[in-house]
Amino acid sequence: MAQTINTEVTRVDARRKVTGTASYAADSIPAGMLHGALACTAVAMGRIAGIDTARAEAEPGVVAVFTHETLPDYKTVKGFYAGGPGSASFWPMEGTEIRYAGQPFAYVVAETAAAARRGADLIAVRYEEDAAQIHMDPGESFIIGAGEDSEGMTLTKGDIEAGLGAAAQTVEATYRTPFQHHNPMEMFAATAEWRGEQLTVWMPSQSVRTLRGGIAKAYGLPETSVRVLSPFVGGAFGSKAGVTPYAMLTIAAARAVGAPVRLIVTRPQMYTVATFRPETEQKFRLGADADGKLTAFEHVEIAQTSRFDDVVNPGTHMTRSMYACPNIHTEQRLARSDTNSGGFMRAPNEMQTFFGLESAMDELAWKLGMDPVELRRVNDTNRHPVKDVPFSSRSLMESYDAVSRSFGWADRGREVGSMTDGDWLVGYGCATATYPTNMSPSSARVRMQGSGHAYVELAAHDVGTGSYTIFAQIAAAQLGLPVEAVDVVMGEADLPLAPIAGGSTTAASSGSAVHIACTNIARGVAEKVAAQKDGPLAGLDPAQITLENGVLKGPGGESQSLAEALASTPMGEIEAEGQYRHPALTDKALRMTYHGGYGVAGPVTPEMAMFAFGAQMAEVHVHRYTHEIRVPRLHGAFAAGTWLNRKTAHSQLMGGMVWGLGSALHEITEVDTPRARFLNANIAEYLIPVNADVRELRVEMLEERDDYVNPLGVKGIGELGIVGTAAAVGNAVYHATGKRLTAIPMRISDIVSA
Amino acid sequence: MKNFAYTRPRSLGDATEAAGNDGAQIIAGGTTMVDLMKIGVLAPETLVDITGLGDLEGHAVGTDALQFGALARMSKVADDPAVIEAFPALSEALWKAASPQLRNAATLGGNILQRTRCPYFRDTAYAQCNKRDPGSGCAALDGGKTSHHAILGGSEACVAMYPGDFAQTLVAFDAQVMTRGPGGTRTIPFAELHLLPGDTPHVETVLEPGEIVTAITLPRIPAMANSHYLKARDRESYAFAAASAAVGVEMDGDTVRDVRIGLGGVAATPWRARAAEDALRGGPLNEETAREAGRIAFEEAVPLEGSAYKMPLGADVVAGALLTVKSRIGGE
Ligand SMILES: Cc1cc2nc3c(=O)[nH]c(=O)nc-3n(C[C@H](O)[C@H](O)[C@H](O)COP(=O)(O)OP(=O)(O)OC[C@H]3O[C@@H](n4cnc5c(N)ncnc54)[C@H](O)[C@@H]3O)c2cc1C
Ligand code: SF4
Repeated sequence: MAQTINTEVTRVDARRKVTGTASYAADSIPAGMLHGALACTAVAMGRIAGIDTARAEAEPGVVAVFTHETLPDYKTVKGFYAGGPGSASFWPMEGTEIRYAGQPFAYVVAETAAAARRGADLIAVRYEEDAAQIHMDPGESFIIGAGEDSEGMTLTKGDIEAGLGAAAQTVEATYRTPFQHHNPMEMFAATAEWRGEQLTVWMPSQSVRTLRGGIAKAYGLPETSVRVLSPFVGGAFGSKAGVTPYAMLTIAAARAVGAPVRLIVTRPQMYTVATFRPETEQKFRLGADADGKLTAFEHVEIAQTSRFDDVVNPGTHMTRSMYACPNIHTEQRLARSDTNSGGFMRAPNEMQTFFGLESAMDELAWKLGMDPVELRRVNDTNRHPVKDVPFSSRSLMESYDAVSRSFGWADRGREVGSMTDGDWLVGYGCATATYPTNMSPSSARVRMQGSGHAYVELAAHDVGTGSYTIFAQIAAAQLGLPVEAVDVVMGEADLPLAPIAGGSTTAASSGSAVHIACTNIARGVAEKVAAQKDGPLAGLDPAQITLENGVLKGPGGESQSLAEALASTPMGEIEAEGQYRHPALTDKALRMTYHGGYGVAGPVTPEMAMFAFGAQMAEVHVHRYTHEIRVPRLHGAFAAGTWLNRKTAHSQLMGGMVWGLGSALHEITEVDTPRARFLNANIAEYLIPVNADVRELRVEMLEERDDYVNPLGVKGIGELGIVGTAAAVGNAVYHATGKRLTAIPMRISDIVSA
Repeated sequence: MKNFAYTRPRSLGDATEAAGNDGAQIIAGGTTMVDLMKIGVLAPETLVDITGLGDLEGHAVGTDALQFGALARMSKVADDPAVIEAFPALSEALWKAASPQLRNAATLGGNILQRTRCPYFRDTAYAQCNKRDPGSGCAALDGGKTSHHAILGGSEACVAMYPGDFAQTLVAFDAQVMTRGPGGTRTIPFAELHLLPGDTPHVETVLEPGEIVTAITLPRIPAMANSHYLKARDRESYAFAAASAAVGVEMDGDTVRDVRIGLGGVAATPWRARAAEDALRGGPLNEETAREAGRIAFEEAVPLEGSAYKMPLGADVVAGALLTVKSRIGGE
């Protein structure tokens, strides 16, 4: 492959972003635009008994106030977990029912954003309040769909009790993870403009096709009548994937007032009007023989869900894929409480489950008196522990060995509390990272000009990860052009199909489509020049002409650059589409993607198991007097097939590790139990790491070749770096203090109370 | 945010007059004020911006006293080598507060008058908050989450915590506050500026309507030079204290001649741990006495379910701060 792949390429949109010329969805201001604002409930459960909008309507600048009684033409869609495109199955403002705190109950349209907000504050609402419970009760958990949908939700292989009985050491432990919110920097926003039956929606989105399909269907419009635009996205992490009430309310309001309306959701409202990471409980029972070989592996995950959706992100599918073990039992359980529906948030099941699994593995290592790295080595496997198919590639121990070297793992004190630095207790911890390689179908269209310029078009998204850049690189490499000569157009639903920007699929899936489109360009040009009278490739069999680094080559050493060849054709320009579909992708998954859903092949196909792996190591300091936990060093080594862009890949892994650090020490959506509300709905009180928390952070990117996953050999990396960090930190806390913290985040109060 | 009138007077007299009007409130750096206006907790009819009063911006480190104008910026004072040398704890307390952006904007006058971070106070969706809406009850005490609430000085009406850092150095080192109000100027001992919540948590200070803080002064005492501000917080920067201590020590050989202990992150107001100081004065300072002082500092604490950890934590922070100062003195 050409030189632009596996090199460091600066983002093509970097300058536009830092100079403010990159236009995000909410930056588009259609003529005559009005402003929307949401009014949200204070109570979590009950009914709206009455709404008085008089004062709001009298507020200068307010154009209209809509309630469940007065908003015409408000449409809803089916929820994601019920097979639809919606963020949840329950839709506020269809009636008087209140199902969660912070549920929208009125929509104000005004001439300015400030007037709209003021109007929303002036609405007087009366509630009939019922009791609500915000935390799940793990004792009330259940396994979903106990019928045909329950595939893999429970799994038993061998005999778990026998495995535990035969073990030299066992660990039984429960770990907890909290509610978390994505908190992208860019606020949720939607701008809607109707022109007759033509609707345009500007909205930061991880899936413009899902949005367009959902809206068109709800309004009974042909998809060609609905434009959805999301050119740049200022972070999403799973929060901007579905069709949300705030979007549909804005669309209805714009229609009702006969003018474009833009809504920017406030930060506190962002905690209730869309999804979040549900709280979970992770129960493990592990057994191992004296050499550390697992004899029993049991994992029961209980995740919170709403009363109206079964939000299941099956984490046990991931943990049971990890280590070899003859006796495996897993259960994927849910427990309901009174919230909006959760959803997926960066590493949606891996973050929680690997905090549990990798903490439990550490406990096991201590019990066995074994180096925790060696415990992973003993249980490493090249065949999937349940499906018994080979891993397409698996560099777990290579990752451990690399990170052990860079980190100095061998230098650690072998006993708990054996290392100090002044008033700080010092500990080292490690953990495994893994993420499934999910392959979505995708298309891409490439147009190339003989002058040496190319356009790549597809309905994919750059959620801040660098997709614009890698697609330009992939095309540039094949077409023999500099990266700057390739323009990538994305974030529009009218462009060729691309999947949801989720599950770390975009680079591998849409990148493969770009690759195939470029191959098709070469074939088209080859056919044309072979048929011409003159030229170095004239008269050759086009099937024998190959493309290499932008140069067409004949069997006898004839060659011509693709651009030159193209310039010699009558049109001087060519367009081709590329369609990528992993051979293992089912027709059902294909159709699902075309209908805006999340259809993938993998991670386990009938032939292979496809996962990326890594290993993380943390040095933790715990202060003797302040009990603060700090992480002066965090190292990770990862292997994920081909690195398309070493710079943006490094950033993804580094950003993932920082996020993982946040999950370890900071991130939690606090809860007010009696009133069933989220409590710290702002980023002053919802802590995430600041610069000072991230000290030495090292990312090592290992070389790995995988010919099975896709033509480019790429695995997804957007979420890999988060997985395991919290456990590595927790394991280091144990090494430093002898305190095993079984819940994240791990805070001063936990150290003091442990 | 409600609409409001805005005025930026040029003289202290005009400012006092304007600020004394009904519905008027003072704004300095605005980092507390604008925040609370945006979230609907405060809705002044008129904002009286005092940043036009240039005379209040300076500060001076004299041989007998330290003087700070009410409009001196946090970052400027924290960064002054003379302050760092004369009173390291004061500089540290300012450095460890908020973020660089906030410290550049915020004033010392505004800082000492910053409002609680009690999440129920800050979210108007909660109907119960005696501080925000007198007589409405207290959501925190009504089964709410209390992990960031006061274990010292709270009442049955309110257990909100005073969140600031800087004030702990003032309360422990006998600062005074100069004010100018409709009735003229006065000097208030800093320790008397803030009021315990009692039955009236909405009345937080002794300041009269229209009364403007003009300056803060501190007598220079030997314990200042050997002082330290230790702040326990869940992230390395930009976080309020889980517990903190501003301490200063003056030794006479192996005996403590003077010691000052201010407590943050644990009390309803800036808090001085006098009993702990008394226990140390006249005796040695070592791990044992430092820990005992920490214990005494929290003897009268009333922990709530969520804030119980603050008792052992606060005690350890006091001990840690004292021992740090001790080791610095020893190292000289
Ligand atoms: C996200 C965030 C994090 C923070 N973290 C910390 C922290 O870790 N530690 C910490 O100590 N602080 C912290 N703060 C608080 C910050 O230090 C204060 O907001 C700031 O010091 C207030 O100063 P100001 O000049 O902006 O005051 P303003 O917001 O202008 O005023 C604050 C109050 O004081 C009154 N006022 C102001 N000046 C005078 C005067 N001269 N006379 C009479 N009344 C006056 C105002 O009416 C108002 O009630 C944080 C703030 C934020 C927003
Ligand atoms: S503790 Fe004080 S500020 Fe907080 S809710 Fe209760 S009364 Fe209001």
